[in-house]
Amino acid sequence: MLKAGIRGGMLDRLRRKVASWSTMPALTGPAEGPRSKDRYTSLKTRIFLLIGSLVCIPIVIITVISYVWLQSALKEDFNNQLRGNIESTRQSIDFFIEERISALRFLASSNSFGQLSDDKYLNDIFIKFKREFGELVDLGLIDSNGVQFTYSGPYDLKGKIYSNQDWFNAVAVRGVYVSDVFMGYRKIPHFAIAVKKELPEKGTFCILRATIDMATLNRSLSTFNLKSKDDAFIINGDGILQTQSRFHGNVLERVNIDVPHAKDAVSLHELRQNDGTPFIFGFTTIRNSPWIMGVTVTSNAQSKLLGLLTSDITAIYLALVLMVLGTVANMRITATVVNWIREAELEREEAIVQTHHTGRLASIGRLAAGVAHEINNPLAIINEKAGLMKDLMLMSDEPPDKEKFLGLIKAISDSVNRCRTITHRLLGFARRMDVQHEEIDLNDTIREVIEFLDKEVLYRNIKLDTRLKEDLPRIVSDKGQLQQVFLNIINNAIDAVPDGGVIAVSTEVKGRDMVRVTIMDNGQGIPKDTIKNIFEPFYTTKGKGKGTGLGLSISYGIIKRLGGDISVESEVGEGSTFYVELPIRTVGQ
Amino acid sequence: MARAKVLLVDDEVEFASTLSERLNIRGYDTSAVYSADAVLNKVRSDIPDVVILDLKMPGASGLDILKAIKQFNPSIEVILLTGHGSEQCTAECESGGAFDYMMKPVEIDSLTEKIEMALGKKQK
Repeated sequence: MLKAGIRGGMLDRLRRKVASWSTMPALTGPAEGPRSKDRYTSLKTRIFLLIGSLVCIPIVIITVISYVWLQSALKEDFNNQLRGNIESTRQSIDFFIEERISALRFLASSNSFGQLSDDKYLNDIFIKFKREFGELVDLGLIDSNGVQFTYSGPYDLKGKIYSNQDWFNAVAVRGVYVSDVFMGYRKIPHFAIAVKKELPEKGTFCILRATIDMATLNRSLSTFNLKSKDDAFIINGDGILQTQSRFHGNVLERVNIDVPHAKDAVSLHELRQNDGTPFIFGFTTIRNSPWIMGVTVTSNAQSKLLGLLTSDITAIYLALVLMVLGTVANMRITATVVNWIREAELEREEAIVQTHHTGRLASIGRLAAGVAHEINNPLAIINEKAGLMKDLMLMSDEPPDKEKFLGLIKAISDSVNRCRTITHRLLGFARRMDVQHEEIDLNDTIREVIEFLDKEVLYRNIKLDTRLKEDLPRIVSDKGQLQQVFLNIINNAIDAVPDGGVIAVSTEVKGRDMVRVTIMDNGQGIPKDTIKNIFEPFYTTKGKGKGTGLGLSISYGIIKRLGGDISVESEVGEGSTFYVELPIRTVGQ
Repeated sequence: MARAKVLLVDDEVEFASTLSERLNIRGYDTSAVYSADAVLNKVRSDIPDVVILDLKMPGASGLDILKAIKQFNPSIEVILLTGHGSEQCTAECESGGAFDYMMKPVEIDSLTEKIEMALGKKQK
């Protein structure tokens, strides 16, 4: 029971020891702790955003391109539709005016001046004409002197002289004339159509003039498919409204739009109202008249597109569901990837711990072999001295020679002291394996390492020259790990030099905040093609069973973690020099 | 009957001198030398039957001394003493012509047994 308890306690201590190796930050890097959790949370966020970006960016680009393309297509379609509507309405107005002009021309050509100059006859024609075209206000015949010769209509205009009016001259020259709108005596908007009738037999002419109610044109405009904020109107060349406008002024007022020069083809201009609202102004000339038809449309392709999108609620729901599903999938993928990374890092950390453990065991193995040899010598002396005492006691019944026995006992005590020195040195070394940063004397650290190796140096007649700078500043570092590094490098040097070779260890200050340890040997040197690999794990030039290939790799890792640097120069046949540079204050201290 | 001559070679003076005394008590004509340089002179001046040789000596390897002894007189049997044994050590001892090797500290009875075996081989 007692033995089992002791064994269990030892096992627990061993387990704790091994566990402490795996949690040594200097060896394993980031451990599983709060900082590690933060790191993985941050990693998760970054991966989530990365995947989200990778998925969303193309979707956003495609959406923007599609939107622009669709908007352009819709705009084109919208404009074409608007052009078509304007063109169609313009054609109906063209047709209306053309029809009136033709009818008036027919009246002029099919009736003689004599008939037309007869009031009753003209009145009959007027009645027929009005029956056919209800919007006719009056009809009159004007002679070449501009005098209203006959008149049929609601006003008393017979005998009125028009010779000084522009329209009379215009029709005399062009043969046909359509006037601007005017209010007339009834204070309702009208316009007049006049055609010239040549009287060749008299060598003169007369003009048949009809006045038409503008309401007819308003009706023609009303065929335009207007929305509540849209408007359609007719203006003359000076921008004076010929028809009532919803938003741009009253009849005979100037329209509040800067009208560009109108062409026969429909023109569309994007303009802004005073409040900044954009609208499209479409306009075109009306043939055989001084008029321009204008249309303003506030709805545009964008609102049409928005309308299209918002009208399809199912598509919006579908997009939202897809976004939610995509986000969930992204979160799952991110969690899986981060778990893979975490597991890979844990495996890597375990491998690093295992590598360091193996390297440490190799160092300890070599150390143990040296220590065993050193301890066995004094033990052998104790063994022989005690054996001799026993021999002397057994050989004779006489009391033993007191002086001789005291001499033998003293030799035994001296040997025990030798053993104690060795075991204490070993314990001091082993104890520091777990010590973290402390203020240390680098020279002492190197001396302690050399003490371990002095027997081997002695046996092989190697000259180990130490030139340790006396006033070297104390540094803050990990003594145990530094001893491991120097033990590795000096052991390598011992292996490299021949019997009677030279190893020189020196220390010096480098710059303001570094110290440098130089370990030089006159061994066989390292070939140039090999030197680049010597700090790689499991790389060894020693024979099978003589080296693990971990010593320099572990040393490199330790020195880097301590904020220092390790480098090597070597010439084949001349030897190698290792430089270990360490900060006087280590990183993070 | 002449006593068998045993030569002890070890840089640990206390060890070699005491072991020498104990072997003398056990009837061997034992002498000791404490440096590698003195071994061959001693061997030449007073040829031993058996040499008990420390494998690690300052300035020279026990294996080199073994080879030199064997070169001088192959009939001298050499028992190597070492602080720690290994496969490599065994192989080197065999290739060098040593009779056997023993780990320090040695039991005197085991050592005398080995010496007797070495003497037995020599007589054959």
